[in-house]
Amino acid sequence: MLSRYIEVKRLYDETASLIADLGIRGRISIEEMNFLLDLLELVLIDKDQRLFLEDLKQWNPGAGPEEIDEIIKATLLNNKLKDFISWSENREMIRDLIREKYKDG
Amino acid sequence: MNVSLQSTLPENLLMDSESERRVLSSMMHSEEACVEAYHALQSADFYSPKNASIFDLLCSLFERDIRPTYVELLKEAHSLGMLNSPRDVEEIKYIAEHYIDDENIKYWIKRVKDKSRIRRFVDFLRFNYQSLKEQPEQDVEQLLMKAEDHLTNLTALEIDDNIDTPEDMAKLGYDEVERRFLRYQEIQREHKGIIPLDGLPTGFDNLDHITLGYKAGDLIILGAQTGHGKTAFALHTAKAIAVNYGKNILYLNTEMSREQIALRWASILSGIKHDRIRMGDISQSELSMVLNGYAKLRSSGFYSYPCPNLTPEKTVSVARKFRAQKSIDMMIIDYVGRMEKHDPRLQEWQILEQIIKTQKILAQNLRIAVMVLVQLNPDGSLQGAKRMKNECDLMLKLGPIPREELEENELLNKYAQKPNYYLDIEKNRDGRSGVRIPIIFDLEKQIMKDAERVAN
Repeated sequence: MLSRYIEVKRLYDETASLIADLGIRGRISIEEMNFLLDLLELVLIDKDQRLFLEDLKQWNPGAGPEEIDEIIKATLLNNKLKDFISWSENREMIRDLIREKYKDG
Repeated sequence: MNVSLQSTLPENLLMDSESERRVLSSMMHSEEACVEAYHALQSADFYSPKNASIFDLLCSLFERDIRPTYVELLKEAHSLGMLNSPRDVEEIKYIAEHYIDDENIKYWIKRVKDKSRIRRFVDFLRFNYQSLKEQPEQDVEQLLMKAEDHLTNLTALEIDDNIDTPEDMAKLGYDEVERRFLRYQEIQREHKGIIPLDGLPTGFDNLDHITLGYKAGDLIILGAQTGHGKTAFALHTAKAIAVNYGKNILYLNTEMSREQIALRWASILSGIKHDRIRMGDISQSELSMVLNGYAKLRSSGFYSYPCPNLTPEKTVSVARKFRAQKSIDMMIIDYVGRMEKHDPRLQEWQILEQIIKTQKILAQNLRIAVMVLVQLNPDGSLQGAKRMKNECDLMLKLGPIPREELEENELLNKYAQKPNYYLDIEKNRDGRSGVRIPIIFDLEKQIMKDAERVAN
């Protein structure tokens, strides 16, 4: 149990540091950095919004229509993640966009 | 001999980097550690300027009710321009990795604090050494007295421990009398003789008049027998302060669930009988009344913390957290008989006395009013009452008026609605005590109010 906790904590520390490092080196934008940090917090600390995270896993950026990818990305990056997904309408919108992307596939 | 004191002392006497890192990493991982460190330390207690800045950032997040995790710290540091190179990230990561558990947080905090005090002591030695070297002919008596004064301040554990000089006391006393004098003049002139409150409203005009409200630093004890309205009194107080007066209060309940507390508010705010609300036996228009009532609660300053396993230590940490984050002006503990007692060697009254003492210190340190509800024995007495009375500023007892008295006491007929409860002021540090206030307690609606006398 304790080793699992230590493992998760190490994963959290390493991933957060890596994301911040990429942001500072300019390899990702500041908005991307903040989004990824929020996402990490959501997955490993808050352990919340499982369904939303499952939907997000379905999203495979780069495959399929680029335009929808851009819309999803812009929507996620321009909002504070935790506040944004606390509203079911917003979660539904992202879900719809992901569905839309794969509807012809 | 021109020797710098600091350079002759081993560095580990002046600083303890490990303790600093452990405190900071515990703050990132545990709310309890955060509360402890927030209240016990200042950024000046950290030797490393970087650690001091991180401590400030963590406190700033905590004050804004943002859990100060590693991720939040990185974001905050970046937004303030404090994260400019990968090395900065590495340094914070190194601190975050120092977390093991927060059980020993007090030990690590004490180490940080002790090192800080040692450094101040070294500064004191250096200052006096330098002063002696530069002015060898100065008056020795004067020099020693100054040094003693300085050292006394250093040995005081808390800043609040400063001693009032006779001048301080005289000035404080005069300022207080002058403030009251001016206020009295103003009352006569503008408020037509009605005395404004010094503290928070009690929810009863007559009690307000006698106490001038619950003041910061006050410990209020309210005693009542089982089923005689302790919780109703607590929520009546909460309504007066948090709903009607707009101040923030923290309500700790040791025996009711969240749902039960929420349901009680429905009756209190809508005036509909509690039993009917519990059964759902209400009309559509009454449902609207309930909704309107809850709208008031939504915009109020009522914070509830149901906690069946409440301990005195927990009340301290919860009160500190809510004082820092929500600026509460009052805490109500409903009730102490249900608190967890850890020491089986102590008698019930001894434990109660300890709890009461803790709450008094807490009220004074946080500058809030603390109300503690206690259970009276079936004969209306309270075990250890004398000792409790010594500690508190206001002691109230609540109980129904006996049936015989209701029938025979003619004075009770001089009220618009016949009172059915007495609120006895057993002790009042700032005013009259031994006063009995008749009130009306509508048990079915869980509402309390003043009994209004009919004009002769």
